[in-house]
Amino acid sequence: MTETDKEKLIRQYAAGEITWHSLRERGFEDYVQVLGALGELGLRPPIAAMQGPNVEARQRGRAVIREALRANK
Amino acid sequence: MSQPFTLIVTDTSPLFTLALAGSLDTLLRPGLPVRIPDAVYIEATRVHGAPGAEQIVEWINAHLDLVQIVPTDIGIDQQRRLEEGRGIRGLGEQAAIEALERFLRSDTTAEALLLFEDSDIERRQAVFDRRVSLISTGDFLRELETAGLIQSTDYILDQAAAQGRNVERQRLAGEDSTTRERLREQLTRRGEPPIEPSR
Repeated sequence: MTETDKEKLIRQYAAGEITWHSLRERGFEDYVQVLGALGELGLRPPIAAMQGPNVEARQRGRAVIREALRANK
Repeated sequence: MSQPFTLIVTDTSPLFTLALAGSLDTLLRPGLPVRIPDAVYIEATRVHGAPGAEQIVEWINAHLDLVQIVPTDIGIDQQRRLEEGRGIRGLGEQAAIEALERFLRSDTTAEALLLFEDSDIERRQAVFDRRVSLISTGDFLRELETAGLIQSTDYILDQAAAQGRNVERQRLAGEDSTTRERLREQLTRRGEPPIEPSR
């Protein structure tokens, strides 16, 4: 994988166009390498938009954390 | 909270992100027990001294009352594969599925919260079990931010990337010096003095 390919993939990843899974399939060995490549380009790991097949399960998850934080204060 | 929730870490990426940002303790802020499947743990820490690995090991040891490594059959398979020099890609997530199934079977009232990396959570297959909820690293940090427990989600993610960049630079420099060292050894073995750089 050339540096240009790597940079392109990382930009796509940061933009939420491809997944960490697909980066791994395309030669990234571990997530530290991904974080390093993001840092090199001044980018940060993406945050998933609240969409897709698991929205309900994710909203439940956020509610669990919210409630746990409140109870644990 | 009426139900006993447990946070199950499904992949190495949330651990590395939080470890490099120096924020692993945020995982404990909700006060939920944390379970890390053995294959995820091994994948994150198997290279001794690797960036993030040491922090993860120390953090787990400092919080054994709340953080548990879960043994799985997949973890045993992973061990065998490592010994045979075979790939272990994807085994962490398989071990997380096994750990989840064991967990749900062990207590019919228990509920699990699966922690995923953000890009993967958005596109994976739908979860229909009402006892299973999902959370991504980003969603998790946002809840902490809303509760005023961290400065900002973006700050932590930026810190992880910045630290990752430093680590990668050191790694590349290390690889470079290893190459130089090997070349020097080759030349010395032939009885030739190392070539001095031209001035």
